[in-house]
Amino acid sequence: MIGPGSAATWPRFPEADRPPEERGLARDAVRLLVSTGDGEVDRRFADLPTLLRAGDLLVVNDSATVPASLPARGDAGEFLLNLSTEYGPGLWLAEPRWGVGRPGPLPLRVGDRFRAGSLEARVVGAFPGIPRLRFVRLRGNVRATMARRGRPIRYGHLAEVRPLADYQTIFARSPGSAEMPSAGRPFTPSLLDRLRARGISVASITLHTGVSSLELEPAATAAVPIYPEPFEVPVATVEAIAAARCRGGRIFAVGTTVVRALESTVGPGGLRPGRGFTRLYLHPGRSVRAFDGLLTGLHDARSTHLALMAAVVGADRLESAYRGAAARGYLWHEFGDSHLILPEATALPSAAS
Amino acid sequence: MTARRRADAPRVALITGASRGLGSTIARFLAGQGYSVIANARTAGPLRREAAQLLAVGGRPIEVAGDVARADVRRRLRLAAERLGRLDLLVNNASELGPSPLPPLARFPLRALERIYRTNVVAPVALVQELRPLLARSRGRIVNISSDAAVGGYPGWGGYGASKAALDLVSRTLAHELAEDGISVVSVDPGDMRTAMHQAAYPGESIADRPLPEVTVPFWAWLLGQDPRRVSGHRFRAQAETWEVPA
Repeated sequence: MIGPGSAATWPRFPEADRPPEERGLARDAVRLLVSTGDGEVDRRFADLPTLLRAGDLLVVNDSATVPASLPARGDAGEFLLNLSTEYGPGLWLAEPRWGVGRPGPLPLRVGDRFRAGSLEARVVGAFPGIPRLRFVRLRGNVRATMARRGRPIRYGHLAEVRPLADYQTIFARSPGSAEMPSAGRPFTPSLLDRLRARGISVASITLHTGVSSLELEPAATAAVPIYPEPFEVPVATVEAIAAARCRGGRIFAVGTTVVRALESTVGPGGLRPGRGFTRLYLHPGRSVRAFDGLLTGLHDARSTHLALMAAVVGADRLESAYRGAAARGYLWHEFGDSHLILPEATALPSAAS
Repeated sequence: MTARRRADAPRVALITGASRGLGSTIARFLAGQGYSVIANARTAGPLRREAAQLLAVGGRPIEVAGDVARADVRRRLRLAAERLGRLDLLVNNASELGPSPLPPLARFPLRALERIYRTNVVAPVALVQELRPLLARSRGRIVNISSDAAVGGYPGWGGYGASKAALDLVSRTLAHELAEDGISVVSVDPGDMRTAMHQAAYPGESIADRPLPEVTVPFWAWLLGQDPRRVSGHRFRAQAETWEVPA
């Protein structure tokens, strides 16, 4: 059974420690695990046009990754300030860490002052229930400081410094994600051309991801709050979804961020445009209303992601799919392989390659 | 020179009912950002202890003890803000719950009902009257603390709930009336919290399953980050799954 509380029993999966480009592959050459009502088949991401139908709509996240990790210095010494979410002018939620592989906690108290890049910073308070996240007030131009001194946020499993471009998807328009919305990473211009040629269209939402700091996620976290993230579901996307449904097309969310944005503004009257912050927590027992299928990465034992996936796929189906994928050498994490979950009723596609 | 100092001076927030519970949470969050907090509460002892906490997180607290239902207390609050030279935020948080346990309306003591309205409806309006010129100068914000009881119709909560429903309408009306002064007005339902007031509503019962008022801190961070004109006239739920900016 997959869900909150079972993450401790979730096996460890092989991780991609480098982008596919450095493994000699194109972005869209990563493997694609395809879950149908009948079980799983193995494909490549580039096979996507043959796995979808004319009229289908892909909804992607157009948030761009920012270099959110700033060098910081204060009474405690040198540390990293990973900026998670901008709440308002100068007010950020952030995770102070000793280093890439050393999370802390740091001895920072409310009212303490320090420097982050060239900015004066001040600790405002802790995030309720997640004390490793602090609200900080930054004086000065945060975006410019990020551009000059910031690095993409990374953790222990990716020790190497990589250029920001490695953390951008082809859809990146609106800067603001602390970490890459990775489900869209394998898309390439030529793949988009082939999707369009098949009559498959693309619409976008925006959801700026906060920090994930994997190694600090507690194993059993039913009671752990999800922190809110900024999102926008634009009018044009609501219209594109309505048009797709009208022509009998199916809606595919590309990534858990898209799921959260869409489910945040869907109500009894259907999907509506919206903008704000969401901390929607999708879990088994909560219905999924805004989309039919999901295209996403392979998720590790962070229970909020697992719970979301279990809500979409069903816990048993997800567990058997993941165990099979692990046995067949699929790679986990943001530079790893992908997973297409077709609606239950979809027949196994005929051989695509 | 004087004008420049004033523009550079720390922002000022006035919070009623600041010595405990939600008021204390908001006061500490603002003090941590460097606001000068004018903290009001009925009794001086707890207010002094709270002011010490605000000082410890780097704020510059000013204590004004007394019941906001009294005109002389409201005047002292205005004088405190005038001495600081500005007022950016007024949080009408002080609230009167009524008798504990909560009586049904058919048996509600009428003097207690009047007292609830004086504190929860008349005092916030009176404070706005008192502070409007200062708020206008800073193009400030007013936050009125409401309750889910304002819309719930919960048995026993009729006195308190009706007063908060009235305060919600006060907020919406003020949002229109004060727009020309550049003042923004919102109403916030903080949700159930583990506070002394909530305990008084459920005497003898455990309220340990309710979150502490700190649970609302991210909401205040979000609300104060929004363009005040965009949110004015709207009602928010601090513990909701999403906080949306009105279209």
